[in-house]
Parts: sequence; C-alpha cells; structure tokens
Amino acid sequence: MVEVELRGVWKRFGDFVAVKNVNLRFPDGKFSSILGPSGSGKTTLLYLIAGIYKPSRGEILFDGEDVSRLPPNKRNVGLVFQNYALYPHMTVFENIAFPLTIKGLPRGEIEERVHSVARMLHIDELLDRYPHQLSGGQQQRVALARALVKEPAVLLLDEPLSNLDALVRLEIRGELKRLQRRLGITTIYVTHDQSEALAMADLIAVIHRGEIQQVGSPEDVYRRPRNLFVAGFIGMPPANLVKAAVTRTPTPCVVIAGGGEYCPGEPLASKLEALGLEAVVAAFRPEDVVLGEHPMEDYVSMEAEVYVVETLGRENLVTLRLPDGQAVKAITSPLLNPRPGDKMYVNVEPSKILLYDPDTELNIEAIEAAPAARPVSLAGSPERRRAAQEED
Amino acid sequence: MPRPRLPPPALFLSLAAFLVLVFYMVPLILTLWASLTPVRNWDIAQLRQFVGAENYRRLFHLIRFDPDVSTVVKTTIVFVAGTLTVNVLGGLLLALAAFIIEERASLGFRLLWFLPRMTPVAVFGLLWYYFFYPQGTLNAILLKLHLISHPVNWGQDVLPWGPWSIIIFVNGLVGVSYGMIIFYSAFKAIPKDIYRAALVDGARLRDLVFRIMLPLTRWHLIFVTVWQLLSLLTTYAHLFVLVEWGVVEKWHGMTWALYVFETAFGSAVNDQALASAAATLLVVVGIGLGLLTLRLMGFERELGAIRGEL
Repeated sequence: MVEVELRGVWKRFGDFVAVKNVNLRFPDGKFSSILGPSGSGKTTLLYLIAGIYKPSRGEILFDGEDVSRLPPNKRNVGLVFQNYALYPHMTVFENIAFPLTIKGLPRGEIEERVHSVARMLHIDELLDRYPHQLSGGQQQRVALARALVKEPAVLLLDEPLSNLDALVRLEIRGELKRLQRRLGITTIYVTHDQSEALAMADLIAVIHRGEIQQVGSPEDVYRRPRNLFVAGFIGMPPANLVKAAVTRTPTPCVVIAGGGEYCPGEPLASKLEALGLEAVVAAFRPEDVVLGEHPMEDYVSMEAEVYVVETLGRENLVTLRLPDGQAVKAITSPLLNPRPGDKMYVNVEPSKILLYDPDTELNIEAIEAAPAARPVSLAGSPERRRAAQEED
Repeated sequence: MPRPRLPPPALFLSLAAFLVLVFYMVPLILTLWASLTPVRNWDIAQLRQFVGAENYRRLFHLIRFDPDVSTVVKTTIVFVAGTLTVNVLGGLLLALAAFIIEERASLGFRLLWFLPRMTPVAVFGLLWYYFFYPQGTLNAILLKLHLISHPVNWGQDVLPWGPWSIIIFVNGLVGVSYGMIIFYSAFKAIPKDIYRAALVDGARLRDLVFRIMLPLTRWHLIFVTVWQLLSLLTTYAHLFVLVEWGVVEKWHGMTWALYVFETAFGSAVNDQALASAAATLLVVVGIGLGLLTLRLMGFERELGAIRGEL
C-alpha cells in the first residue's frame, strides 16, 4: 500500500490546460474521491497517476518515490475504466488472468489467484463466458477483478458505476466500499456524482476546470464549501446562492431581499469589515430551510412566493421567488404542500448561512485560514499544511 | 393502362446487375464456351464447332511435358505465395509502424507507401527496369561495394530466383500498401481504453501486438489474405511490362494470368481456345484456393461468434 502525492502537477494538451498546478495527497489505505463535473480534468488526473499520461510539469510520488516518468506497467496500479475496457476476444478468466499471464507467472498460481478474486467478487460462475455475454454489473465486476488480481499498490476507479442501472449501482457502491475497507488498498475514485463521493470517500477533492477547488472530508466539503463553485455543485439540489447587500449600523449586517437580515458575530463580522465588501453571496442548503407562514424568532426570515412544488415522495422540493426575483429552493416534509403563488417565509438558522466574496468567490470565513491567492493543498496532516504554507 | 413498373429494390439493383452481367457473366460464359471450341486467330466462325474437352487435354499435356508451361506453373505458385506473404506480413509491419509513430509523421509514411499504387504501371515498370537491367542502379551499387566484379543480368541469367525475386519485389511493393491501409484502420478502430487497460495491466509492445491487436483484427487479416490471393492470381500488368522489356526471363517472369494473355493475344500464338481453357482453369483454382483459405483461417467460426461491439 502506498501514499500517492501530486506536487505542482500540470498537464497540457497543445494549448489546452487540462490540469493546473495540482497539489494533492491521497493517504495510504484510504478511499479518496476526485469529484468534478464532466470536462473538469478529473480523468486526466487519474490517468496521470496511472502513468497513461505524463505530467507537463510537476511530480507524482508513490510513498515519496518519484514515479512521474515511469510507464504504467512499472507503477503497479489497478485501473477500472468507465466502459470497463474488457478484452472482447478473451473469456472472463483470460481477462482477469491477463496481468498475471503477461508477468509469466506459473499456470497454477494464475488459476489460484484468478479463482480467489473471482470468488471474492461473486463471478466465479462466469469465468468461461465472453464479455458480451455479461450484464453491465457483471462486466464491471470482471473489470474490478482484473484490476485487483495483480494486488496493486493503488486502485484507480474512473466513474466505474456510471454505466450501471440505479439499483445495481447502489449495490456495487456498498460492496466496493466494504471491499476497499477489507483490502485496505489506497483507492482513488473519480466521479461526477457527488452522492457517490459523499457516500464512499474518506476524502474528497473537488476539481473544476483543471484546478482543485477544495479538499476535505465529505462533511467538510458539504458543510463548509470553500468557494461558490463547491457550494453550487455539492448537494442535491446544491446550496441556495443568494446575492445580498452589506449594511453597516455600524456593525456589518447582511441584508437579503424579502426582509432577511443577518448580523454575523465574531470573528466573521470583523472579517467582513476588514474586506470592506458592499455585497456578498449568502449560501444555505435547501434542507436547512424551514418554510412557514410566519417569520421565526432567532432565524433569518425572508418573505417569498411559492413558484413550483415538486413531489419527490420522501420529501417535497419547493422553489420560491424572493421579491427581487432570485430563486430559493427548500426541502420540506411531504405533508407541507403549498400552492404556487402562496406567500411563505423562508427561515434559516443564522449558523447555517455561509457568506462568500462575490469577486474571489471564496468563503469569507475561510479567507484568513487559507490565503486567497494560493491553491488548496490537501488538508491531510497539520505538518503537511504547515509545510505547504512555508513553500509560499 | 399504367406501365408495369419494377419494384424499387429491383430498380436499385438493376444497374449493378447489368454491369455484372455484361462485364462478368457474359465474358465468363463466352470463355467457357470458347474453351470447348477450336477457335484460333480470331476466326469467330470456329466458335460454332464443338471439340469437347480437347483444349483441356492439350493444356494438361503442355503442363506435363512442355518445360516452359510447367515453368509458368512453378512461377505462378512461387509468385503468389511469395508476394502474398510480402503483402500480408509487410502490410502488417507497415501498419504497426504507422500506428506507433506520431500522427503527422504517420500520414507521410502511409502516403509514401501508397506511391507505388498510384504510379502508372508503365512508369513504375520503367523505374525498376532502370534499377535491375545490367547497366542499372543495382549493379552500379553492387560494383561500388565490390560485391560483384562485373555486371550481372539478374532477371535473365540468375535462374530461377533472379526473375522470381524481381517480380515478387515489384508486385510486393505495389500490393503492400493495401494491407497497410486495412490493418492500420483496424488498429485505429480498437478502442483507446483497450490499449490503456493493457498498458496498465503490464503489457509491453510485444504483448500489445500479439495478445490484443492481432487477435482483434483477425477478421481483417482473413479479408486481406483472401483478397490479395485472388488479385495476385489474376494480376499481370506489371509482369507484362517486366517481361516485355526483358527485365526478367520470359517464362520465369510469367504467371498463369499472363500466360493466358500471351496465348490469346500474343503475336506468336493466338490460340484463343487454349487460352480460354487456361482462363477457366484459373477461375476454378481461384475459387478453390479462396474457399480453402477461408476454411483454414476459420472464417465460419468468425461469422458464428460475433463478439460484442468492436
């Protein structure tokens, strides 16, 4: 098992910069996820780690050893592709055995290892079949078996669940997580699906336009989005982002349309003051909204008009309009069923509201903790954070 | 009354059917017919006489007892086997090279190998005439290197492998680009992720070629082999030029197809009946060899087992 580290990694394809100055550390034996929308550079990042691409600049280290120039076959990584990339002319057995056959291992050992990994993934009945005779879920297990049979130091997964039916996806998701715990392989999982990342990963790195936006635990990324992109990307639906004015009376208060007023305490108030902002973006999650007919005490309350109600079964998703036209989404109990046009109050606990600088798009709370100019290095250990800061 | 009209499928097929009928079926039947008559010197009237298998008896007699005709048979076997090997294996190697080198260079590389095919037969023949004739480039080089002490007439005097090598070389050069183009596009058609998966699985170039690329392009290999086999059996344009200009000795440069041409149209013989019999034999042998090759390479097996999307 190894720890994977990227230091100042860039990747260009001609004029296009796919990956920009990425500094990341994937802890040994942990399940990490690279999360980003399509075209964000997440697969490029994975291929860089696998050795399929070579970085234009920067270093990739496995346990401190620079592997940047090593070809994929010298890195001992297992990679599961989005479309599985099974060899169509080989049986399941031959597919799984391929990495071992190439190494020239004795027949007996190959058989033993293939059978043992096939049993573990419940595909030992399928060994004589060809890939085209398998269902998506079965193909996916074969691809996983092929990646695991060589006992890789790092397991890389490129959107492995995205081609599966919803039910099979849930089933394999759970299994994958259990398997990773059991084997303790350093695993890096690329996905555009935040629910997968949130459910499975010990650590999430959010990437957008080739740049790492935030690194942290699922809780961190969900509760304390470092910038507006992360806030607007994570969550189902993502956080409400509402433009608000800053007044000074003389302490700074944030005024949202519909009568919402939020006067933050320390240290946020002085940060707001120090930045001298006239406007901010207030973010709060739809599930943190309490919809009611009246404003609630100790809550920030905004009057809004119900625009549309979507019935999701377990809950209702209500979209409202603030008086200035900005949309706000709220998740409510299915029992609460307002009609479009109804006037209601959007009540949010002050502690659930995050404020963002509209220019830098950074979380104001986080600005001092991590200076705005530098890209995030991976949270990881405090030593690493200090070391990263000293480099600046 | 409305005019009777062809149903659309027949309408669409009619042009192709017409061409096949006029330029393939009719000549084939005429050839077969002529091979059963004593027609010579374009005396069309003789087409009405019927001599049974007489021409075939003559043909097999010639093959057995005329040393020139038996040389033609040997030349044909060596030429087809040799050139086919050059075309298929050479095509594979060139396709691999074109696949491995960088994209822009690859285009130039493929164009270069396509030149012989695009060059008119006479021009290409002339080029190799200058290369192989006794005072030509080849001898000049060999003399410079002191590998020979006096000019050698490779195509006329070094029998049988001198002329055989030359005809295989020249036709191989023309034919090799065909396999290259087919194999190259077949390699390109294998999804990139398959190559990536193999690389991550530890494959070296040798493993990629023998375990991934060749097995996945088996179909193309069968096609190119059979196609080239059949065209080599019937090709004679380049050979005609090489023989006519004396680059190679007549009988060691003549394959069965050229023999048919010479027998029918050559000024010396003009025996259309014998030529028709020889042509019919070539068609039968061609069909037989084609089917045999398909069987040997497992064509039906491939048809039976369609393996997923590729």
